[in-house]
Amino acid sequence: MDIVVCVKTNPDLEMVRVKDRVAQTEGVPYKIGDLEKNALEAAVALREAGAAAKVTALCLAEGNRKAAEDIKTALAMGADEAVVVDDPALADPDEAAVAAALAAAVKKIGACDLLLFGEGSSDNYTGQVGARVAELLGLPQIGYARKVEAADGAVRCERSMDDMIETVEAPLPAAVTVVSEINEPRIPGLMQIMKAKSKPLQVWSLADLGLEAPAPVREIVSNLAKEQDRKHIVFEGTAAEQADAFVDALTREGVLGR
Amino acid sequence: MERVECIVVGGGLAGLSAAYGLAEAGVEVMVLERGDYSGAKNVTGGRLYLKPIRDIYPELWDEAPFERPVARELVTMMAEGAHTTVEIASDRFTAGAPQSYTVLRARLDQWLAEKVMEKGAMVVPNMKVDELLREDGRVIGIRAGEDEIGADVVVVAEGVLRLLSSAAGLATQPKARHHALGYKEVIELPPGVIEDRWHLNPGEGAAQLFMGECTKGMMGGAFLYTNRESISLGIVVGMEDMRRRRDGTESWQLLDEFKELPQIRPLVAGGTVAEYSAHAIPEGGISQVPRLAGDGYLVAGDAAGFCLNALVTVRGMDFAVAAGHLAAEAIKRAKAAGDFSAAGLASYEGSLRSSFVLRDLETARTIPSFMENPRLFTHYPRAVARLLESVYTVDERPQDGLVKKAWKSVRRDFLNVATVKDAWSARRI
Repeated sequence: MDIVVCVKTNPDLEMVRVKDRVAQTEGVPYKIGDLEKNALEAAVALREAGAAAKVTALCLAEGNRKAAEDIKTALAMGADEAVVVDDPALADPDEAAVAAALAAAVKKIGACDLLLFGEGSSDNYTGQVGARVAELLGLPQIGYARKVEAADGAVRCERSMDDMIETVEAPLPAAVTVVSEINEPRIPGLMQIMKAKSKPLQVWSLADLGLEAPAPVREIVSNLAKEQDRKHIVFEGTAAEQADAFVDALTREGVLGR
Repeated sequence: MERVECIVVGGGLAGLSAAYGLAEAGVEVMVLERGDYSGAKNVTGGRLYLKPIRDIYPELWDEAPFERPVARELVTMMAEGAHTTVEIASDRFTAGAPQSYTVLRARLDQWLAEKVMEKGAMVVPNMKVDELLREDGRVIGIRAGEDEIGADVVVVAEGVLRLLSSAAGLATQPKARHHALGYKEVIELPPGVIEDRWHLNPGEGAAQLFMGECTKGMMGGAFLYTNRESISLGIVVGMEDMRRRRDGTESWQLLDEFKELPQIRPLVAGGTVAEYSAHAIPEGGISQVPRLAGDGYLVAGDAAGFCLNALVTVRGMDFAVAAGHLAAEAIKRAKAAGDFSAAGLASYEGSLRSSFVLRDLETARTIPSFMENPRLFTHYPRAVARLLESVYTVDERPQDGLVKKAWKSVRRDFLNVATVKDAWSARRI
């Protein structure tokens, strides 16, 4: 069984500062998303358990000009090969364009019995890409997986639901999106990092995949949370007077006493 | 055991400079950096004196992400409630090729790490080296976690604390009295505001040092460097002086109190603190430089004690780059001769001795002991500030003539047994 893990890199959120309500991403390094690391770990664990033969990490650069460097972390974590799709036309793609490129890349990779994703990316977390790629490839999809087992041409997953755990089985090939409970991703040691250097890594363009530049179907007007106007009322006097005035004000606003 | 030709421990300026020179010559080199990226752990003030190292890797510096060339030098001597600032400005500081630049190391070191990788070296961040591996007294590689990697030669550029080299017995453990503690804030201000506050032409920078009241009489001082869109403001205090202090003052409070001084507050007003950091600084001078080369290893940068505080000029980064370069040259010679023993690597120390690195440290040999004199940080800054305060004072009393006013102050503060003794001990600086 061969596994392809779709991996997104995003700016290291711990290092992003916000200035005048705008995220400052200049100079912020990219890293592999948290849930993608879970997906990678799940794939490598399946291979180590003898359930899979090969693990390929597939990454869409999405404007990260060092994606081919950053994906080496996936190789150090145990992936056997890596493929990066890097194309200027995909600098800031929407989910449909991401899914189309990933689906085409999975087809080009060829052997893929199990396709793994993180449930959502660490930056935007739209949670769409796994399901979209599965649909494009005509694969059954299992979401919110907290456990993945593969045997006898089928994948069996435990799904983490709000108030229950659901066990679902699907025939291979299939797509699975995982949640963080599934495992604790390994931190690669120096030896793994050194070995990753010589593992196969290919960079493809959209033309290599036979795709045209996607037409943008969305326009982001703003992704900021709505700003709340504050009342800026200062209550003065003794504690009791302040409390009374405060309760009066809340009552006037209709917050209390409805 | 997996092997590479050269392992560099520490991805700061010394380590990266060595790796750059080695990778350029086709030596297989791997840099191991403990921080999330090169520069992540650095707290340098700071200012890089580029002039001494411009001819080392000349192709690099034109595109380096420096902040501002330093056009104005300011020294402020502080008494309680009074201070005197001296400005030193020269066209020659910035004309043509500026002699020094302010830098933010997070930016500079990351950039240099990328240049090193472009030359073919491997730079591995987030990698803490736990041990220098030794066999029969010879350094044969490193251990990081469970992984042991062998190398023909290890460049130890691990920084001021010398954790690995002292654990391996290659250097003595650093002592508090040879070190200072630095605290720094990076405070964001718009470029126009910076240029207005420090009277700068667009793009030019200022460096300001403060002595006296700011360290409460302890060895040290405060510094301020203007970056492109921020200032680096910090305070440095001798560890031993701090350790001996019994009044409950915590070292980190010094910077907060400094920022609150009426003469500093307007300089930082409206700024946003973007970073806060602290670090140890080698102040021991050449007497604390360890053995620089041995079987299978070389030492460079802060780990080698290559730092020089000459009161008005503070250097270390130029030494680091130069030492890294000379380490690379020595390793290339050792590789050609197939001899990585102490004898094969001995040319490193020789070339450091004939370079400005050990020459300037040798010239400054007496400065660290001279700086143990507390009057330097108490009496003199106060005396200068008081002298000029008295000259500029006008009140209802009949005024002495200018010379008489000054003379009174000079006689009181500068002509006594202690100051004459200080002048005598300062003659060799």
